[in-house]
Amino acid sequence: MPEIRLEDVRFAYPGGVDVYPEPGLTLALGDGVTALVGENGAGKTTLTKLLIGLLRPRAGSVTVQGEDVAKATVAAMARIVGYSFQNPDDQLFERTVRAEVSFGPRVLRKPVAEVERGVAWALEACGLKGREEVHPHDLGLSERKWVAIASALAGEPQVVVLDEPTLGQDYPSRERLRSLVAQLADMGRTVLVVTHDMDFVGEACSSTVVLSEGAVRYAGPTAAAFADRDLVEEAGIEPPHVTSLARRLGLGDAVSERAFLAALGR
Amino acid sequence: MEVTRPALVFDRVGYAYEEAPREAVSDISLTIAEGEWVGVTGPTNAGKSTLCLLAMGLAPHFFGGRLKGGVTVLGKDSRQVSVIERSAEVGLLFQNPFTQVSGARERVDDEVAFGPECHGVARPEVEARVAEAMERVGIAHLAARHPMDLSGGQLQRLALAGLLAMRPAVLLLDEPTSQLDPAGAAAIFDVLAGLHQRGTTILMVEHRLERLCELCPRVVAMAAGRVIADGPPDEVFNREAVQERVGIPVFTRLARDGALPRPWPVRVGDAATAFAKSIA
Repeated sequence: MPEIRLEDVRFAYPGGVDVYPEPGLTLALGDGVTALVGENGAGKTTLTKLLIGLLRPRAGSVTVQGEDVAKATVAAMARIVGYSFQNPDDQLFERTVRAEVSFGPRVLRKPVAEVERGVAWALEACGLKGREEVHPHDLGLSERKWVAIASALAGEPQVVVLDEPTLGQDYPSRERLRSLVAQLADMGRTVLVVTHDMDFVGEACSSTVVLSEGAVRYAGPTAAAFADRDLVEEAGIEPPHVTSLARRLGLGDAVSERAFLAALGR
Repeated sequence: MEVTRPALVFDRVGYAYEEAPREAVSDISLTIAEGEWVGVTGPTNAGKSTLCLLAMGLAPHFFGGRLKGGVTVLGKDSRQVSVIERSAEVGLLFQNPFTQVSGARERVDDEVAFGPECHGVARPEVEARVAEAMERVGIAHLAARHPMDLSGGQLQRLALAGLLAMRPAVLLLDEPTSQLDPAGAAAIFDVLAGLHQRGTTILMVEHRLERLCELCPRVVAMAAGRVIADGPPDEVFNREAVQERVGIPVFTRLARDGALPRPWPVRVGDAATAFAKSIA
């Protein structure tokens, strides 16, 4: 059973045009790491907000882990879906990193031991150990991003949605993120990554959904998405850097560095 | 021969934010000539954004703190000019576009007009500049929208349009395309390339090393508040200290992992040539 299912979803912001035109957005996602890509304004962030009930569809249905989002409270959805915003400043308000990261599970009234376990794991996974007592606003954008990601993970949700997690991140940080999403996938979680970072998509996301003008233009294995040159052109995306090099060398459409070196025979 | 004067001079600059125990940047000496396009990169907390704030004069004028050494932009010492005065010639694009918009304007075109209006530019001239700036960054169709209703990418373009409308001689860009899709980012870099050709001085913070190497003839690598390398990208990214502390462009890493001889390429074209040679 897919973890996430959208059926004929329609949505418009107040006074705005339809984000998902007729007949609406239909999409099914299983576990593992899926990238959600497409040009600015394609409806990516809107989709993620529909998943947690922050936005309500005008028509159609959204189901996450069998839960009908329309009938669930935001609190109920928060137990299932961990969400980190594109702009961390939209979500950070506590006075210390620890308070911020533990806020979600505390509000959900999880048992203390469970809260502590989730928070400890999230702080460690996000490289925030030793930064627990710092005020989030004394951190740089990159670290605030990590606090937002840790907050999304601390409640040990089955579904994790990360909006532009590589934004402002240096290479070591991107590597940490790559191993984090791989670890989540190994734990059987569903991870949805909204991103413009195609290198990250190629390296870290086994599946890719391409949105274009509010419609699903592609959903399937990442490598095949980048191999489709028309799709890449029309959806305003670009292949990973490694793919550009592989093509110039006639080595096929490798989307990750490992695949490139394998094709090279090294 | 045409003599180019320096656009930006950092002379043994150290700076600590208000109440910060340590300096955010230390012992920075950099001279950037008029018309240069310099890329700045480095890990988190390297001091890249602080460098931009210092060049704008926001540090120390807005942020307070302790400034050592001298920051001179277009011949004017930071201590002698206000940020308002400097903003007539120098534009800073903040890392987070959400913090850039004035909050005082309810339409995108009025927001773009905000800078020139504050500087007393005549109305017809403002209108011409606003139309041109919006067109250039691709937001002309959003003119009547409310800035706060825009997506992150649209907001970033709006912020850049606001700067372009000021026709600055020096642009300080803190990750100018962080919120943009690849096609949108490519379009913005085309705009920057055009400005560079017409002589605008650009200091650009960029994490995407491949992009940096493709675009910038000169790269400044920073770590822990100091400049650790400064030069052409090929040179900078072949240094071990930079690879360790700042990172390695994809093509350089592939060359290393693919056991190519040094120096390793930093751009896709050079990498293709080097790999082709090694395959043959």
